[in-house]
Amino acid sequence: MIQSPPTRFEALVLPHLDAAYTLARYLMRDTHDAEDATQEAMLKALRNVDQCRGDDARPWLLAIVRNTCHTHLRRRGTGRGQVSFDEDLHTAEDDARRPDTALIRAADAEAVRRALDALPLGFREVVVLRELQGLSYREIAEIAEVPVGTVMSRLARARDRLEQLLGRMRGKEGWG
Amino acid sequence: MNCDDVRTRLDARLDGELAAGEIEAVDAHMEHCADCKALQERRIALHDALVREMPRFAAPDALRQELVRSAREAPKAHERATRRMSSGWGLALAASLAIVAVGSWQLATTRANGEMLTQTLLESHVRSLIGEHLTDVVSSDLHTVKPWFNGRLDFSPPVYDFAGRGYPLLGGRLEYVGERKVAALVYGRRKHVINVFLWPADAGMAQGPPAATRHGYHLLHWNGPDFTYWVVSDLGTAELQEFAGLLKDADLAAAAPPTSQ
Repeated sequence: MIQSPPTRFEALVLPHLDAAYTLARYLMRDTHDAEDATQEAMLKALRNVDQCRGDDARPWLLAIVRNTCHTHLRRRGTGRGQVSFDEDLHTAEDDARRPDTALIRAADAEAVRRALDALPLGFREVVVLRELQGLSYREIAEIAEVPVGTVMSRLARARDRLEQLLGRMRGKEGWG
Repeated sequence: MNCDDVRTRLDARLDGELAAGEIEAVDAHMEHCADCKALQERRIALHDALVREMPRFAAPDALRQELVRSAREAPKAHERATRRMSSGWGLALAASLAIVAVGSWQLATTRANGEMLTQTLLESHVRSLIGEHLTDVVSSDLHTVKPWFNGRLDFSPPVYDFAGRGYPLLGGRLEYVGERKVAALVYGRRKHVINVFLWPADAGMAQGPPAATRHGYHLLHWNGPDFTYWVVSDLGTAELQEFAGLLKDADLAAAAPPTSQ
């Protein structure tokens, strides 16, 4: 095997491998699926590294990861998980009961994980890109392929739902 | 600013994304509105909990090593292939490289099909405007339009009413794209007509460019979780994008999250 010096890919893209994998974990919600998607996305990034402009490859890479995850989910999509409506999630929006701020603040890792898992994909991805990756609305808009205004409204609705999910739980058994 | 104004801006305010001119008004409202103040506190509590409890994951070492290996092996072979395909006499050279030849042929075919589809839908849109046949079922009631498709299509298209957002439902009709019967939903925006063509995402139909402009009409195309969408109108791109965003959001809200493991 010919060993060359570190490539542009290694210098620019590979440092964001953990960020890529983390996004895939949240979108795919499964370790193996996340690994598959990350691998495919990284190889895609390797092939197209010339298209990455600027010094910060992270938003560019995350866009590839996001699209790869969507493709994987869509491919296996239709048959699986077609519970047509989550009643609890729906009524949560109209619920007059105000979620409890102290409960939200005290949420533990398991509660946060379950609340995030319960979010529709498009809401979950904006939350992860914002809260975990700290990306700007504009960067998120480019990654999610929606206008900035849609990023804003999705974030707001996603957070409303998370507050409802976390702020109405009564310990472990509150998920019925 | 009233509470609704503030609520639509609060997230941007907290995320440091609000236009400078609006910050003061939001903050001023917060001073004397207990409800909005409470919402702000919940948002801050949520942010704290998320930042504290959302794990970051480390990619498997094996994957990292494999990528380093690929990166160091790949460039030469890859550059060679790219050069051949993009050069003017690429096809002649590629004849000796069966894989490259097949690959570029498929690419060309896919593009041609996408362009044909774009043209077909554009013609459908224009025909719907000049003829009498804009709608088979005329109704702004989604509970009238949606059942109308029963028995006429082998799928049930999602129908929404965005009248509250300025995009009222006008009706629906059947269209043929090639051999395939597809749903056409008609929405309005002021005097403009928006045709929404959709069919199941797994129908094996050609894909097109995500956005295109032909003869002054704009076309947007995307694949939702269940359906492939094409939206055609003479509306400005910004508004058409906004409308597409509404459709995507409505699909999201309707799609249930698969049960978590």
